[in-house]
Amino acid sequence: MNGIGARVVTFVCALVAFAVPAFAQVDLNGSYATRMYEDYIERGPGEFMGNFTGMPLSDEGRAKALLYTSNQPSTHERQCLPQSAGVFQYRPVGFRIWSELAHDGSVLAWVIGGDNLRNDIRIWMDGRPHPSPNALHLAGGFATGTWEGDTLTARLTHLKTAWIRRGVGIPASDHTTITMHITRRENLLTLTTIQEDPYYLTEPHVVSRVWEWNPRGTSANRPICNTANEIPRLEDTGIFPHYLPGQNPEEDYMVRMFNLPKEAAMGYAETLYPEYRKKIKGTYVPPAECSARAPGYCCGWIETQGRPGGAPNLTCNDGGFGTLGPRGRRATEQ
Amino acid sequence: MTRSRIISPHRPRRHGDTENFWVCLRVFVSPWPVGAWLLIVALLALTLSASALAQGRGAQAPAATPRVAAPVDMTGYWVAIISEDWRWRMVTPSRGDYASIPMNLAAQKIADAWDPAKDEAAGEQCRAYGAPGLMRGPTRLHITWLDDTTLKVESDYGMQTRLFHFRTPAPTQGAKTWQGVSTAQWVMAGGGRGRGAARYGSMKSVTTQLRPGYLRKNGVPYSAGTVFTEYWDVHTEANGDRYLVDTNVVNDPVYLQLPFMTAIHFKKEPDGSKWDPTPCDARF
Repeated sequence: MNGIGARVVTFVCALVAFAVPAFAQVDLNGSYATRMYEDYIERGPGEFMGNFTGMPLSDEGRAKALLYTSNQPSTHERQCLPQSAGVFQYRPVGFRIWSELAHDGSVLAWVIGGDNLRNDIRIWMDGRPHPSPNALHLAGGFATGTWEGDTLTARLTHLKTAWIRRGVGIPASDHTTITMHITRRENLLTLTTIQEDPYYLTEPHVVSRVWEWNPRGTSANRPICNTANEIPRLEDTGIFPHYLPGQNPEEDYMVRMFNLPKEAAMGYAETLYPEYRKKIKGTYVPPAECSARAPGYCCGWIETQGRPGGAPNLTCNDGGFGTLGPRGRRATEQ
Repeated sequence: MTRSRIISPHRPRRHGDTENFWVCLRVFVSPWPVGAWLLIVALLALTLSASALAQGRGAQAPAATPRVAAPVDMTGYWVAIISEDWRWRMVTPSRGDYASIPMNLAAQKIADAWDPAKDEAAGEQCRAYGAPGLMRGPTRLHITWLDDTTLKVESDYGMQTRLFHFRTPAPTQGAKTWQGVSTAQWVMAGGGRGRGAARYGSMKSVTTQLRPGYLRKNGVPYSAGTVFTEYWDVHTEANGDRYLVDTNVVNDPVYLQLPFMTAIHFKKEPDGSKWDPTPCDARF
């Protein structure tokens, strides 16, 4: 190679070396810890039965949810049943995201790792089409994704029938679809899900949450689910726990406990918007002081986030598990 | 003069340095064929273009105002969808109901003494309408450009106005207010090359100078030292629906044990027909 050629090659190599891909994508790889500053009770100790606030339920969805009892997941065949693909928005555990690479090093798929109660969500990035509606439905669904700037947008179809939220029986059909917007900035991951269901929802159910990058990754393990006989009376009896229509004793629980209007507790879509607040102004009466009425759910400190215990001298009750002391331990253990 | 002389960055530049540069450049490129020269220019343009798009977070053309440079249109009417924390956001919870807020003991003592009548008597009925509390409220937002460098966000809930300053230096003195002083910047995202291609990005804002208020309407306090950081994203769905997601972090060294981080979502409305301003209310 003569001198001129060498100069050209050197120059071009330098340019290439300093160039940045025009379509740079954010690296989502890593483990993310949950930060339960929203819907804490549902994500932590567990939601009150009959609390469907914040949901745009159809009559069918509401009716089915009211058949649910908390004993249903205790049946052998349901103890390890995967929950909805979007249920991580309501669970107290983190997750891991990793990329799967094609032979040329490009990202073939992003995977949101599942756990013992939720399947992996594999978001294909290679442009493949969604399969026939009659194709296999999975708990993690079939997902394709595209980058919209620094946000990965995924569309999930082919999902199985599952519970949308944690422990209150709100259903999703196998025709449900979920759109996810995943945005990472520095150590924060914002995940917005927009779930639609032609049978059980009257409008899209929107949830937005924040996770925090967690290099220790301890919250993203995948424990194995084993079944066991949790309720003796259900063993080999053929009993399926449920309430008959109109007989759910929890249907009015939120009304009795928090003075909430029943249409709000039962998840009517109109209750999601600001005008509803104006509608009930003058009729809504705040309940009595929290500590006297519901001693289990009134403290601000959150022990179950994987953080150290509470601040010095701050005591509270975590809702059914016991009173927590300054360092997060049960009062009885101190 | 030698070709290899290195100009020290610590030495004042002289006219001779510029002359040297052009001489060096002429010596360097003169033997090259035209084709090689064109190839290099083309690659250089492509490289700079790629770098600007993919790496240019916050980079803006010098002449473009923030309004013109906006990678996303946030203007219009938006309504909060209260699908999360309904019991704490849509109605005023009772005293003592503080679940999910990482408050400390000092905050709990103050919140336990919450008395809306006292707030009203003191003219402090807007305590729950300061920026960190306002954004979680059941509100509509009306977002407009006040001028080329200031984005205005109004709420009908409590009739508050937040101003996001892109260029004007934020004053650091003066009285603290419910909405404080907000500085903003565009965060340009990668992708979208070429004329007519979609641009992507988001807005980051930092609010300080806040008058002490409530994170929750039942008296959970934040202090004047609070720093409220927000990241604003707009997502457009296949059916045309648009959502504004406000990822936010409340840092309060006085009343919080940890940063209080949430994401709040709003849906775009076609017009302002449902806009209904209501004044602050300390009780409901």
